[in-house]
Amino acid sequence: MSTFALFAQLKLRLISGNLRGATERKIGFIFSVLAALFLGGLGFLLMSLLRLARPDIATDLGIVAYSAFAVGWAIIPLMSFGLDDTLDPARLALFPLRTRELAVGLFASSATGVWPLATLLALAGSLVGLPRGWSGVLVGIPAVLLAFALCLVLSRLVTTALSGALRSRRGRDALAVAAIGLVLVFQLPNLVVNRGIGDPAALLKDAAAVLRWTPPGMAAHAVAAGGLTALGELAVVAVAVVLVAWLWIKTLNRALVTPEATTRAASVRRSKGVLDRLLPDGPLAAVVFKEVRYIRRDPRFRVGWLVSVVVTGVLAFSMSGQGGGQPAVVIGITCLGAAMIGAQLSNAYGIDGRSLWMNAVVYGSEQDLRRDFAGRHLAASMVAVPLLALLALAAGFFAGDLGASLAGMLTAWGVFGIALGTGAVTSVLIPYTVPDRLNAFTGAAPGQGGTAFLGSMGAMMATGLLALPVVLPVILGLSWLSVLALPYGVAATLVGERIAGKIGRMRMPEILDAVTKPA
Amino acid sequence: MTDAVRTHGLFKRFGPQVAVAGVDLAVPAGSFAGLVGPNGAGKTTTLSMITGLLRPDGGAAQVDGFDVWRDPVQVKARIGVLPEGLRLFERLSGRELLIYNGRLRGIPRAEVERRAEELLQVMDLTDAADKLVVDYSTGMRKKIGLAAALLHNPSVLFLDEPFEGVDPVSANTLTEVLRRFTASGSTVIFSSHVMDLVERLCDWVSVMNGGHIVAQGPIAEVRAGRSLNQAFLDLVGARGNGEEGLSWLGAKP
Repeated sequence: MSTFALFAQLKLRLISGNLRGATERKIGFIFSVLAALFLGGLGFLLMSLLRLARPDIATDLGIVAYSAFAVGWAIIPLMSFGLDDTLDPARLALFPLRTRELAVGLFASSATGVWPLATLLALAGSLVGLPRGWSGVLVGIPAVLLAFALCLVLSRLVTTALSGALRSRRGRDALAVAAIGLVLVFQLPNLVVNRGIGDPAALLKDAAAVLRWTPPGMAAHAVAAGGLTALGELAVVAVAVVLVAWLWIKTLNRALVTPEATTRAASVRRSKGVLDRLLPDGPLAAVVFKEVRYIRRDPRFRVGWLVSVVVTGVLAFSMSGQGGGQPAVVIGITCLGAAMIGAQLSNAYGIDGRSLWMNAVVYGSEQDLRRDFAGRHLAASMVAVPLLALLALAAGFFAGDLGASLAGMLTAWGVFGIALGTGAVTSVLIPYTVPDRLNAFTGAAPGQGGTAFLGSMGAMMATGLLALPVVLPVILGLSWLSVLALPYGVAATLVGERIAGKIGRMRMPEILDAVTKPA
Repeated sequence: MTDAVRTHGLFKRFGPQVAVAGVDLAVPAGSFAGLVGPNGAGKTTTLSMITGLLRPDGGAAQVDGFDVWRDPVQVKARIGVLPEGLRLFERLSGRELLIYNGRLRGIPRAEVERRAEELLQVMDLTDAADKLVVDYSTGMRKKIGLAAALLHNPSVLFLDEPFEGVDPVSANTLTEVLRRFTASGSTVIFSSHVMDLVERLCDWVSVMNGGHIVAQGPIAEVRAGRSLNQAFLDLVGARGNGEEGLSWLGAKP
């Protein structure tokens, strides 16, 4: 128990230590606390409202919800931008900790934080919603705690197990792509539903019938049923928790002592890019030159691009089946893709991270910074412009309305321009560290999760607001307005670059500090 | 003699802790200067503030007579920097890194390529030139970092712990290049706590302790007949000889 308290305290200290002295990080933290409390409260409310549903449907929904929590905890840390990374186990490797102490300690530090609290809160809602008698409530309390523990250890197991493979540079690249495949698999049910195969009620029944025999499903069933069966089910869940925890610790122990897989240093081709040949020699060409190579070689870029394309593609495929050839769907989806791709540059300096000083010792004027952004935007456009055209065509094809593709393409290019413009501004206003280490999926350095959340949300919302005046009329049917989208987007990019240049020149030392946090 | 670098009351605090408490650093042009001091003396912080990477809380810094914070364009064109521990653009190859750096500073591509080739040769990096920097060893990193800092022919070069973690062969290459550089009238300022190295290379030394400059001048003056190591220990006040306390250390149970 003392180990538990010690590590929980350590985590709290890490969180508060990271907040010291930086106002925007405090704001970001408060923001994420509020978001977590809101979502936790909403979860509690929704779960307790199950009381109003028919008992069998309530039980089925509870089972699905519990399973969703477990799956969510296993997958979201892989992609999320807002979750703190827990205490790095590698830092504890040299302490003489017994495996049991290590397990308890890391478990404690995983359980400490706002998102775990929100999960616990939401799960606790089922104590109101599911039980049909006192025995259910009594069994429910340990059931909720066990389900919560299962979420935590499952999440740790997945990240630790993948971390091992992520140690080598090549493994990291491969796994990043594999994870997207995993996401696709979980999107499948969604695709099926949206394609209109089977009705929701039957689907829920089928899903619950299968999930009921998984540990989280059994926990949910135990809360609903109560009685002796429930106790048996709880025992199974407890065994599952211990088993997963044991696997996790085994993986962890192995990960800590396995030497880094050596990556053979491969030579790269000496080549000039297309844009590089067209642009006049100078700093702008230099930035494009570097950025194009980074888009190709940095796994973080590749993951970002792939995620945007896959998500948009999946949406296009599933929504079009439902919408049945609505041009608005084609345009809306393509624009969403444009916003997502553009949002990757909403923390442009974060990707540079600890190498940003190389630019900082060169850039002395507003114009230098403006040119830097222009170069990054040009490089990104080189990939994004044809890609968005393809997406628009694909969306049009799925929807059986290729005519809408043209309007979608033009509007999406405009939205992309707007996203670049707002991204440039957030890059200098809300920069944060993007760690490049074992877990390639961590979005922000410890303590900066809130800042990252604020940054990406801010960029997204600003993009959405600025895009409305041109996207909305186009979606409502005034397709010819899409001709205006591109010049509007280009103008937004230029204005964004100008503002970012002004702010960036004044804030360079602060930006440098924000993107080089230890991670 | 004009000063390549001069600071007045440079001051920086991190929260309650004062890292640099009014530093008046002066380094004459054309000198090979060492900035020495124990860990935590404020060397890195001082260098970061002079190179424009960290905003000072007070005081001023000048490079070649230009104020670092009021005239950054002039200053940044004149300096080359190699910070400690910070990373390079890892996903570029060594050659690409040099070319990127040169062109970013507005040097024509053909000229950059020529200079990069020579630097790679001098630094003995030709074989690794097309490998990604992420796969470089510590010594190779320091060498490619130094090459990038020299590429635009700066008049003042700032190096933070350039020899830390570098093998003797690479260290020798580094010192040879730096010697040639200062012989041409340019200035090198580097921080270190290896006294032997400073004594061997430098003609000017500034000693920092607890955020202050405690001695500064031509190396012979600062040494005053002692070895630099002894002079340094005298200046920063050697804290005991480690014999009091610690009676348990080395005792067999």
